[in-house]
Amino acid sequence: MNRIVLRRLAQVIPLVLAVIVLNFVLIHLAPGSLFDVMTAEQQISDPAMLDQLRHTYGVDQPTWVQLAKYIWSVMRLDLGFSYRQNAPVLNVIMDQLPATVILMLAATSVALLVGVTAGVLASVRVNTIWDNLISLAAVFFFAAPSFWLGIMMTVLFAVKLGWFPVGGIRTIGAGNGPFADALDVMHHLVLPATALGLFYAATYARVMRASMLEVFRLDFVRTARAKGLSPARVVLAHVMRNALLPIVTLLGLQLGTILGGSVVIEAVFSWPGIGSLLFDSVMSRNFPMVLGVLVLGSLLVAVANATVDLLYLRLDPRIRAR
Amino acid sequence: MSRFSRRDFLITTAGAALASGMAGPALAGLETPKRGGTLIGTWGGFEPQSLFVPPGGGSSPYFTSTKVLERLIRLTVDLKFEPVLAVDIKPSADFKSYTIKLREGVTWHDGNAFTADDVVFNAMQYWKPISAGVSLDALEGAEAADPLTVVLKFKAPVPEFFLKSVLAGKSGLVIPKHIYAGSNIITNPINNAPIGTGPFKVKEWVRGSHVEYLRNEKYWNPGLPYLDRLVIRWWRDPASRAAAFEAGQLDIGTFNPIPMPDIARLTSGGKFIAETKGYSNSAWVTTIEFNQRREIFKKREVRQALMQAIDRQFIADTVFFGRARPSIGAVASSNSIFFTKDVQDYPFDVKKAEKILDAAGFPVKGGSRFKLSLVSAGWFEENIKIGQYVKQAFEDLDITVDLAVPDRATSLKRIYSDYDYDVAISNNSGSVELIPSTTQYYTTDGIVKGAAFRNATGYSNPKLDEIVAKMTVETDEPKRVALAKDFDRLATIEAPLLPMVDLEPVTIVRSDVRNHSATADFMGESWAELWLDR
Repeated sequence: MNRIVLRRLAQVIPLVLAVIVLNFVLIHLAPGSLFDVMTAEQQISDPAMLDQLRHTYGVDQPTWVQLAKYIWSVMRLDLGFSYRQNAPVLNVIMDQLPATVILMLAATSVALLVGVTAGVLASVRVNTIWDNLISLAAVFFFAAPSFWLGIMMTVLFAVKLGWFPVGGIRTIGAGNGPFADALDVMHHLVLPATALGLFYAATYARVMRASMLEVFRLDFVRTARAKGLSPARVVLAHVMRNALLPIVTLLGLQLGTILGGSVVIEAVFSWPGIGSLLFDSVMSRNFPMVLGVLVLGSLLVAVANATVDLLYLRLDPRIRAR
Repeated sequence: MSRFSRRDFLITTAGAALASGMAGPALAGLETPKRGGTLIGTWGGFEPQSLFVPPGGGSSPYFTSTKVLERLIRLTVDLKFEPVLAVDIKPSADFKSYTIKLREGVTWHDGNAFTADDVVFNAMQYWKPISAGVSLDALEGAEAADPLTVVLKFKAPVPEFFLKSVLAGKSGLVIPKHIYAGSNIITNPINNAPIGTGPFKVKEWVRGSHVEYLRNEKYWNPGLPYLDRLVIRWWRDPASRAAAFEAGQLDIGTFNPIPMPDIARLTSGGKFIAETKGYSNSAWVTTIEFNQRREIFKKREVRQALMQAIDRQFIADTVFFGRARPSIGAVASSNSIFFTKDVQDYPFDVKKAEKILDAAGFPVKGGSRFKLSLVSAGWFEENIKIGQYVKQAFEDLDITVDLAVPDRATSLKRIYSDYDYDVAISNNSGSVELIPSTTQYYTTDGIVKGAAFRNATGYSNPKLDEIVAKMTVETDEPKRVALAKDFDRLATIEAPLLPMVDLEPVTIVRSDVRNHSATADFMGESWAELWLDR
């Protein structure tokens, strides 16, 4: 087990280096630069001022020097300074990270709960009206654009019924102790987490259904039934546990993308997450910020991969033998 | 002290002047304002990169910083200057120096007194080198005659309207000397939680969500602001803003906060008002620019012919749902001081355009007159549609068009840094004063490679430069207006670039919000006078 963890962590260094170099090159290949965007917004035309800013932003140096400097500072665990936000990159990311993590974890939980339940139900009642309804819903939630779903949910639940707030993460100015605050955040979380979660749930439901049907055909299930186990026990303890592996794989992939957030859902619900930050940073060619998010993201992917590997071991002891 | 200050009187009269023009919110100026409450506002764009961006930084930081930082004077909706931090600004007889009398008893949010030293620091260290740039080229020095008097000295005569426009404009914010002196103003961390003299203090900025301001209890104008709390919140999606209005979670949104088709629905119930006043000092236009570095566009007739090929009424009606007007000349029609109708007009006439192009030596050969690249700047969604329309309009003249609608950074680079376009569609927002915000698109000194929102066409005409140079030093207002009209006429005939449509931005506001939209640039106003009738 330790070997797996160590092996995964050893992969982090080349991964982060590759992420930095690749994205640095990509963002420099895109036309326009942070300098162009900043000076345009600030309406600066004085040549002396332009030179001063070029120096401040460090764009007066050759690209490879900029890259080397960036890698060196990341090695010292410094993600650099964002002149656009006029703050250190890490501070800006940390400001928006909690909201992103809460939203993505909540959405993933919704997805797992709804998706796995629906998948199990569909496979147990295969080819009945239940199965068809679940498949239909899965196709619908997968195909419906999440911004549309988000807006429709807002119109129904926030505008017409008034059950939930229209957006944001907290009631502004409300501070009634940690418990009330947590409830407040949860109240704001319901709509965005559901809108995003249902999209993921659609995939989980389809994968779970297929995987369950596959396992149902295996010999040990017949044995379990022949032993006289109750149908519920057969489904939950024997079939479901074995059918969960592909779900865990999917989950691992999805956990890796958590840091990216969801630009669309964040936009619709004005959720203060990383997705919008990353999007704005790409649009303004703010490469320290883009690289900062991606470096942290690649660390998270590595950790998520290691966790998934460990989960595999727990779910299917046969993997250890290999 | 009397119960009504001069300022209160001015505000009330401004409200009354407004009321004569329309019913509804402006009548509120005559009611007794109520104290208290929280106002939640937004605008039709995104969160600022920083709450205050010293050199400018666009509309979003301008919106958030002006609730905290004030200017010496402001411009009302009927284009009169009104005192804020300065009670009086007087030119000398030769217009080469100005004496500014400052308001007494003004303090910064941290308790320090606001004095003439602050204004001297701003003039020499902030306005001239950073925010105002070329506008204050003639500024030679500033000195404090006494703690409440500042004298600005210029090396050439400076027209009064011009200087006051700079001081009342986007670049005239007054920042505290005791905080900024000795630091790099642009990267000072205080810019993310600015300290000013304004009616509101920054309480907290939650990145990605909102900024919360609290009432400044020690504001120099007793009784103001009326609100206890102001929240500026950002939604990235216009439809979500409309939903927030309907759910009662948003009170006011400036600069087209919601999708155009939603405006009629929202305002039909009487619960919301669509207000178009309050934008004249920041008049947005959509322009078309002809790159003079291309042989084809060195011919004036070609530029004029292409102007005639575009149905600008169609753009106004279809792309902007009627919230725009075809432009007349180079000066926005909302500019009641310098605008003139007496300019060359370019009515939509394809036949005539074809004839001009034939005569200019560009007949149809092999199905096409010539090929051009059209770059429509992708920072506004409307520019996508306008680009597509203009492409079709040019193709109707048998011109082959290669259309690109690049994203913001790429558009800036192609149009203003690389000059990599034949015809460009762009935008700008001009102040009432034409120098430099409008003139720099036409004058030779407006050509600065890599500096955006200036002369990117490379057009250079000594005659036009001379008119603008005269305007810069002409201190007699009627003569100056006449020069401005000369400039407008010449620019319109020459047509190196011209506005196609004047945009008519809308503020959506709940009907119980009073005293809004009474200044020429309402979004950049302190909002001290806003009150809630609840």
